[in-house]
Amino acid sequence: MNQLTRNSVLQFTLALLIGFGLGLAYSWLLSPVTYVDAHPALLRADFKDQYRIIIAASYAANKDLPRAQARLNLLGDVDPVSELSAQAQRMLATGETFEKARPLAQLATDLQQGYVGEPFTPTPFPTFNTPNAQFTSASTETETQPEISEEATFTPAAPTVFFEQTPLIPLAQETLTPRPTFTPTAGPGDPFALVSQETICDPGMSKVMQFMLLDSRHDQIAGAEIVVTWNQGEDRFFTGLKPELGNGYADFTMEADTVYNIRVVTGGAFVPDVRAPVCTDPNGVNFPGGILLTFQQP
Amino acid sequence: MSSSKIITVVIALAIGIAFGLVYGWVIEPVEYTDVTPDVLRADYRADYVLMTAEAYQTDFDADAAARRIAQLGSQPPAEIVSSALTYANLNGFTQDEIHALQTLLTAMQTYQPEDNLNP
Repeated sequence: MNQLTRNSVLQFTLALLIGFGLGLAYSWLLSPVTYVDAHPALLRADFKDQYRIIIAASYAANKDLPRAQARLNLLGDVDPVSELSAQAQRMLATGETFEKARPLAQLATDLQQGYVGEPFTPTPFPTFNTPNAQFTSASTETETQPEISEEATFTPAAPTVFFEQTPLIPLAQETLTPRPTFTPTAGPGDPFALVSQETICDPGMSKVMQFMLLDSRHDQIAGAEIVVTWNQGEDRFFTGLKPELGNGYADFTMEADTVYNIRVVTGGAFVPDVRAPVCTDPNGVNFPGGILLTFQQP
Repeated sequence: MSSSKIITVVIALAIGIAFGLVYGWVIEPVEYTDVTPDVLRADYRADYVLMTAEAYQTDFDADAAARRIAQLGSQPPAEIVSSALTYANLNGFTQDEIHALQTLLTAMQTYQPEDNLNP
């Protein structure tokens, strides 16, 4: 091949490469393919969250579980149930009300169970009856929930408390106040009952009060509200906010030497006088243990 | 450089550009992974509006419905619902679904954002 031909081939190749580069720059940068028929799996993460919310809201209305499942599958999540639970958790962590996260938790639970479950409905507070003067207070949780009333009777001389609480004074003086008789009020759904109370003597779970809520089929229930009260306050939380530990799981950190009263809002179960158990490590040293409370619907 | 050489170079350049365009648009186009709902395919858009309509039948929250539909584009919500209703009528949606969409359409046609009500 002579010099002239070699130069021509070189120029042709060079021009070809430059042209290819220009074409590529135009097609990738200046005028890339425009998406007009996108699949939901390609949605940005925040739009996927929005999509899940709408799927859950739609499911809450039509109770069509296979359809909700099919719609969730469009998003391409590896584990749609975990995604729903995690999103509900994120919403609560960012200050959203549980009313907004509830459809997600309900859908996650129903998908896990494989059937349409009963919607979580708050039940009336339990009623306490004693022969003395009666105290009644009422409150409304949200505009979408039925009015919830509290009733309790107590000795006028005793501190005004709703649930029995750890007194600020030594426990021995608590005997002055008669303990109210607990009468559970029937709720719209099957009530949860405490089926086991286990002491956990693991230093890693010290002072941790764990909850596990199960339905009658032993499936875990997400989104059930639990109220823990003690002498200095009250805390409310929901099952299913730690999906990695189970949809029916919730926990609460206790203080040593404090008595807690537990109420499962969904179903009305009430457990008084719960406290951190005393455990002994292999060296003979006492430490506050943990406790696992399992509730189940009959 | 002779004119024949110039023609050869121009032809090579044109071929290169053509290859580049085919490669960039067809063989290896830009892949989108974080798209917005406004580019969803028509059937997914219709289903999205239908889900909003089903939720609206329970909560009657026009504000929430309008916010959800607004994700699908900058057109007025009523226009988006109307498009979905047209799609539903043409593609064999059930009577219940069409009724839900019609209810939502009516709500969106009369919907006034709170900002407009309270300027």
